[in-house]
Amino acid sequence: MPSSQVPSIAGTALDPTAVRPEIADAEIERIAPVQLRARLAELRAEGFTMLLDIGGVDYLEREPRFDVVYHLLALPDRPATVAEVGVPRRLRLLVGVPGDPASLPSICDLWPNADWAEREIYDLYGIVFEGHPDLKRIQMPSDWVGYPLRKDYPLRGPAREATPRPAFALKSNVPAGTPPGGKVAAALQKQIARARGQVAGNGEKP
Amino acid sequence: MSAAPEAPGRASTLDVVEVKGNTMTLSMGPQHPSTHGVLQVIVEVSGEIVEKAEMEIGYLHTGIEKSAENLFWTQAGTVIERMDYLNPLGNALCYVLAVEKLLGIGAEIPERAQSIRVLVTELSRIASHCVWLGTGGIDLGAISTFFYTFDIREDILDLLEQSGGARMHPNYLRIGGVNGDLPDGFLARLDALIEKFPQRMRELRALLQNNPILRDRMIDVGIVSAQDAVAWGLTGPALRASGIGYDVRKAFPYSGYEKYAFDVPIRDDGDAYARFLVRLDEMDEAMRIVGQVRKELDAPGPIMIADPKIAQPPKETIALSMEALIHHFKIVSESFRVPPGDVYQAIESPRGELGYYLVSNGNNRPYRVRTRPPSMYNLQAMKLLAPGNLIADIVVMIGSLDPVFGEVDR
Amino acid sequence: MEMMPGQFMLGKIDDVARWAQASSVWPLTMGLACCAIEMMSVTNSTYDIARFGSEVFRASPRQADLMIVSGRVAQKMGPIIKRLYDQMADPKWVISMGACASSGGVFDNYAIVQGVDTIVPVDVYVPGCPPTPDGLLYALNLIQQQIRQGGRGGILAKA
Repeated sequence: MPSSQVPSIAGTALDPTAVRPEIADAEIERIAPVQLRARLAELRAEGFTMLLDIGGVDYLEREPRFDVVYHLLALPDRPATVAEVGVPRRLRLLVGVPGDPASLPSICDLWPNADWAEREIYDLYGIVFEGHPDLKRIQMPSDWVGYPLRKDYPLRGPAREATPRPAFALKSNVPAGTPPGGKVAAALQKQIARARGQVAGNGEKP
Repeated sequence: MSAAPEAPGRASTLDVVEVKGNTMTLSMGPQHPSTHGVLQVIVEVSGEIVEKAEMEIGYLHTGIEKSAENLFWTQAGTVIERMDYLNPLGNALCYVLAVEKLLGIGAEIPERAQSIRVLVTELSRIASHCVWLGTGGIDLGAISTFFYTFDIREDILDLLEQSGGARMHPNYLRIGGVNGDLPDGFLARLDALIEKFPQRMRELRALLQNNPILRDRMIDVGIVSAQDAVAWGLTGPALRASGIGYDVRKAFPYSGYEKYAFDVPIRDDGDAYARFLVRLDEMDEAMRIVGQVRKELDAPGPIMIADPKIAQPPKETIALSMEALIHHFKIVSESFRVPPGDVYQAIESPRGELGYYLVSNGNNRPYRVRTRPPSMYNLQAMKLLAPGNLIADIVVMIGSLDPVFGEVDR
Repeated sequence: MEMMPGQFMLGKIDDVARWAQASSVWPLTMGLACCAIEMMSVTNSTYDIARFGSEVFRASPRQADLMIVSGRVAQKMGPIIKRLYDQMADPKWVISMGACASSGGVFDNYAIVQGVDTIVPVDVYVPGCPPTPDGLLYALNLIQQQIRQGGRGGILAKA
């Protein structure tokens, strides 16, 4: 149920969720940040008892810039056999978060396992989770500057970005311009003959 | 070392020894023989009893997700394999299944490829549980177990090396099938393993299952109720030992698992001993699946889809056919484009539900690879379990949750 | 040579000490990532590092001679490795096991230190991702060779 408050990104290549209904791997819903806690509480009451994961995506050129994706699973929270568990419902809840200010309410009181997931998104994307009991970096050292998974953060990090990658010079001891001959040509001829079926040995080991 | 940082959010986690009142704050790890990898548990202990435990992870953060965004779809599998390094084929399977969903070719994967995928993934599950059992035994002081389990593991790694080319991280599972058929002699070796495995498991069970010391150290240690297990997002053996029968292979079957008959071991004590028994039973069930898959592997068949835009043509044809050469060149030098979309694909890894949330924007590289790391969520439950227990029990609990830090930190 | 009770043997202290050192290289348990699993495999009965003298892996750096950096070194882990290396008593040796420890491996990105030799001096590099246990055994043999040849200044070598 997309909310009318969310700016429309439908149909663009940067809004992948609008494009592939046939994949059908989960129910998909997109909401605005202000609706997050209320909607999650409703979903939990509806039976989505397990928060599987919270992930972030940086759509750099889109407004809102970030997506925070909540994966939920409807499992019974009392002992149940495989048959009783059956095929649980999956839900993917997407929340668009603007680049500035990048913040969302924390859901650590609803699900205790949101703690580290929210810290990781803060560490790698810079999205602040309001109400989080202890929001600090988790993967990077605590004095790291920058948010590595953002699309405008260089892959090799700002310190090494400018240094060139090592150059590897392959030196061959065959002078340039030598016509093919010897072992290479013989091996190639054997390969062609085998493919043509002139020589037995599919499955022959080199 | 006597620096005394005052609050969480300290700049350096290296200097954490302090003594205040009755308690002492110590750093267990990140280099420690029993934390199963690079985990730092900052424990506030009063004698041997842990009053508070704060876990510090990130000591193995590799930036795999960012690396994957900068590699082609065909290449990203290689770095993704290195996340859960005890089950590289499982990571690869989850990734290729997700990409195949995005490509829309899920139904075209040949049957033999699916059988081989199930075979190597289940063998990998047994190998992973062997490491868990061996190292778990060492944590308890049962050092001989290590040699028994790693001997089973060597047999399995031999098979994986024969089929995939490497013991660990073979990059054997590719988008569209598997890379290369099983070589001659593989099935005979597999038969030999299937034959001797039950005896090996009997030996392991005889060594451990009713061992009074092991029972004393594991029973009633680290009890997780069913409600807590769901609230904390536990999956895998940790969830099933608390009574909830959720196994991705049964709930959302993939790669042909619906064809095989296997049970999912469930217990409801929720303690470390229950998790131990669940994993032992899982090893037996995995071998049961392997036995069923073995029967399907006698008949030959293709092991990659026939679409040359996705699967590299066979090497022999490159010398003969211009189209084959061009397709080969294109796939290797610039990979294929995957239609835009997002997908969440999950498999049952030895640790729980391993999921990948892939986003494609139509390009030849993944736009985003988000991992749902089962080890991270399983490990987080230590916040619930640790306080009030002995340090020795912390070691048992971490072992029973079986985290792999390549996955926790990525 | 026949050995009789009460016999004396003459030799250089250097030779005897190096023989003793080379035959009892005790590694530190520094398992980081995938290479650590292959390092564990090198202790199992198939590969058996114990027959080369590395009978025990010591968890305390004070008691270990050899640091096998097995796995990728993350930014957070770098200072820890330096600290552990400093805590090890001389003489000590370092094997950089695997591509990631040697040069950053497949991970040329922000998160991985591009080679543990930027942090600690390395004696032997082992290529592979991960190297097979045979590779690690060969590296240990090279370390033993270095020890016997008096690498890095003699039996009381300072790092």
